[in-house]
Amino acid sequence: MPGLRRALIALFVVGVLFAAVDVAIVLTSNHEHQKLVDAILGPLIGLSFIGTGVFAWWRRPLNRFGLLMTAVGFAWFAGALVNSDNAIVYTIGTYVGPLYLVLVVQLVLSFPSGRLETTTSRVIVAAAYIDAFVLTLPVFLFDGDLNGGSNAPDNAFVIAHARGFADVVNVLTSLIGFAIAAATAVVLLRKRRAATAPQRRAQAPMLWTGLTVIIALGLLFGGDAVGVPDEVLGVVALVGFVAFAILPYAFVAGLVRTRYSRAGAVGGLIERLNNPDSPVRLREALADALGDPTLQLVYWRESADQYVNYAGHRVDLPAPNSGPARRAVAEVERDGKRVGAIVYDAALRDDPSLVRAAAAAAALQLENERLEAELRARVEELQTSRARLVEVSMGERRRLERDLHDGAQQRLVALSLQLGLARRKLEDDPVIGGRLLDAARGELDRALEELRELARGIHPAILTDRGLGAALEALAQRAPLPVDLHEMPEDRLPAAVEAAAYFVVAESLTNVAKYSGAEHATVRVGRHDSFAVVEVSDDGVGGADPAAGTGLRGLADRLAALDGRLEVHSPPGGGTLIRANIPCPTCA
Amino acid sequence: MRVVLADDSLLLREGVARLLEDAGLDVVAQAGDAEDLLRKVGAHKPDVAIVDVRMPPTHTDEGLRAAAEIQDRYPGVGVLVLSQYIEEGYAMELLSSNAEGVGYLLKDRVADLERFVDAVRRVGEGGSALDPEVVSRLLGRRRREDPLSELSPREREVLGLMAEGRSNHAIASQLVVTERAVEKHVTSIFNKLSLPPAQEDHRRVLAVLTYLRA
Repeated sequence: MPGLRRALIALFVVGVLFAAVDVAIVLTSNHEHQKLVDAILGPLIGLSFIGTGVFAWWRRPLNRFGLLMTAVGFAWFAGALVNSDNAIVYTIGTYVGPLYLVLVVQLVLSFPSGRLETTTSRVIVAAAYIDAFVLTLPVFLFDGDLNGGSNAPDNAFVIAHARGFADVVNVLTSLIGFAIAAATAVVLLRKRRAATAPQRRAQAPMLWTGLTVIIALGLLFGGDAVGVPDEVLGVVALVGFVAFAILPYAFVAGLVRTRYSRAGAVGGLIERLNNPDSPVRLREALADALGDPTLQLVYWRESADQYVNYAGHRVDLPAPNSGPARRAVAEVERDGKRVGAIVYDAALRDDPSLVRAAAAAAALQLENERLEAELRARVEELQTSRARLVEVSMGERRRLERDLHDGAQQRLVALSLQLGLARRKLEDDPVIGGRLLDAARGELDRALEELRELARGIHPAILTDRGLGAALEALAQRAPLPVDLHEMPEDRLPAAVEAAAYFVVAESLTNVAKYSGAEHATVRVGRHDSFAVVEVSDDGVGGADPAAGTGLRGLADRLAALDGRLEVHSPPGGGTLIRANIPCPTCA
Repeated sequence: MRVVLADDSLLLREGVARLLEDAGLDVVAQAGDAEDLLRKVGAHKPDVAIVDVRMPPTHTDEGLRAAAEIQDRYPGVGVLVLSQYIEEGYAMELLSSNAEGVGYLLKDRVADLERFVDAVRRVGEGGSALDPEVVSRLLGRRRREDPLSELSPREREVLGLMAEGRSNHAIASQLVVTERAVEKHVTSIFNKLSLPPAQEDHRRVLAVLTYLRA
């Protein structure tokens, strides 16, 4: 990002100009008594913040921490305007003076991401801004004590003289400042407790230095409000000042430690994964190594064209940076083939090389776990499809039972009745008797007809006798619309394959006739690489939904039991193509 | 008329045999499987062999294969195949080259004594007998351009009975019209379907079936 780089260099140059102005103001000041110390320390501190801030900004453009550091530096320079002898400049300098302190509060609370991540920390920072720039207004407007010392210019903002009221407000703002500092310290300590060991190690320098600044700040506010002697406050102020001055260096130290600890983490990861004595789940190892307990691993299932989790359940990758918890995704490849992906906290993304290194180290084990996940997914699919198959076959049995009872059996009962009646009538009224016998014959014919249809629905004899080609031909002839047959197999296929193919065509043709409004249909049975491929297409209305009806689902289950797959292409208005891929080792 | 009967169900075989003997036919032998059947046909040279499709050992289509073999080896023996179910394809296989002395009926038809015996006699005399169910399926098939739609309802009836293998005389008495009227219908049908005229019944059946099958 050369554009960013140029802008950052320019920003630093502006910082140097500010430093020069600062030195000039200090050296010409009438009311500044430690000119030399101020002229040396002032620019040094300001440029330390701007320098480290710009550096951090450049290295991690997405992290706002660098911006905040830089802002502290500029706020520091703005505060130096207080050394001016011009009343307006002096008063403005005094007014914006606390800005760098407020920014320090924001800085330590948003470490390390540069964002205020909790509501508490956002409330604290908002309170700090209000306290520093809204509540202090009466002090300026009603001629409060600006602590400018002797020879300081006059307060340029005064509109009325009410020193008593202004002093009360002054004490109030100090007390609030104390509360803000105390709350900040509590939040920092809590955050430390919640951090993982590697995070704690990396954040220690910044945390302890920042905490010192905040505590000193709190003591100063509190002490000021209750009137602690100046000598004591002077010591506290010195400690706080020193801590503030080294804050940028503490930040740099933290960066260095993080880098080392992260490089060490990847090394440790490889070591853990290669240790055969203590098998560890890859996810746990990666979560530890990257310091992201929310890290997820997903595995690529090529056969189903989707990601699954360790249990083999389908997972959709989150859109980058989506949701309240911002997630990032790193895909993992092995030998140029996708094996899985790491879904991690987007905060880690400021160090993508680390995630990549970890992903590379994990690729082999990820591949192994991918195979396990694939296996689990297949077992689960088989279990559900088997369960559905059992359900389907139970349903079919119930239907058969109903058809037999309501159909053939009823007719046979009626037949028996009619024969009994005919037997009684035969002697005294042969005409009626004859009619009853004719009716009985009709009943019998219908019963036989129903039994034949039932038997054909269960398993057509021609399929067993003559194979798929002949059976499909018979099916096509019975279809209520013209059906073209192409590429029928001439020799026999395994019985299970023939049956599956037959029912795919039977069910599909039934659907075509019932729903599609098609003029005609085409059936194809081909062989490709040890698969029998059955296609039924029509020129109807399309829009068939495999999830909607039980027919297509039942077919899919039948096929799944043979390790086959059903595809349905049915764009609205574009006809329907049903394709079944049935594994057939002997078809190759 | 001499008959050899083959069915693996003894009950049904005996029943049919009794029926046929009551009707004045001579059941010279009975067989329980295809091999037995072929042997007995060879020995007795009957006028007609009545064969069940499903027989041991596989209970699939042994009867059909045996029928084809009889047609092949004993041209003078008529073959009437009985089946539990209707497959137009099987009927066509039997009648594909030759409609002389061939029949294909649903097994249920044995219940209608008169028509069954009529069919047996027809096949035994060198005619043909095709189950009405097969015929109605053939007629009912959906065709893209269907000349059958030009036939009148009565012509369709006549066409169906022709396909079953009935003679003009039989058709006339079934429809209660004169033979002359039937002849006129037949000529009209052959014209509408652009079929070459055929006088003998079995050639006529073949022509009609080939047409319906196409």
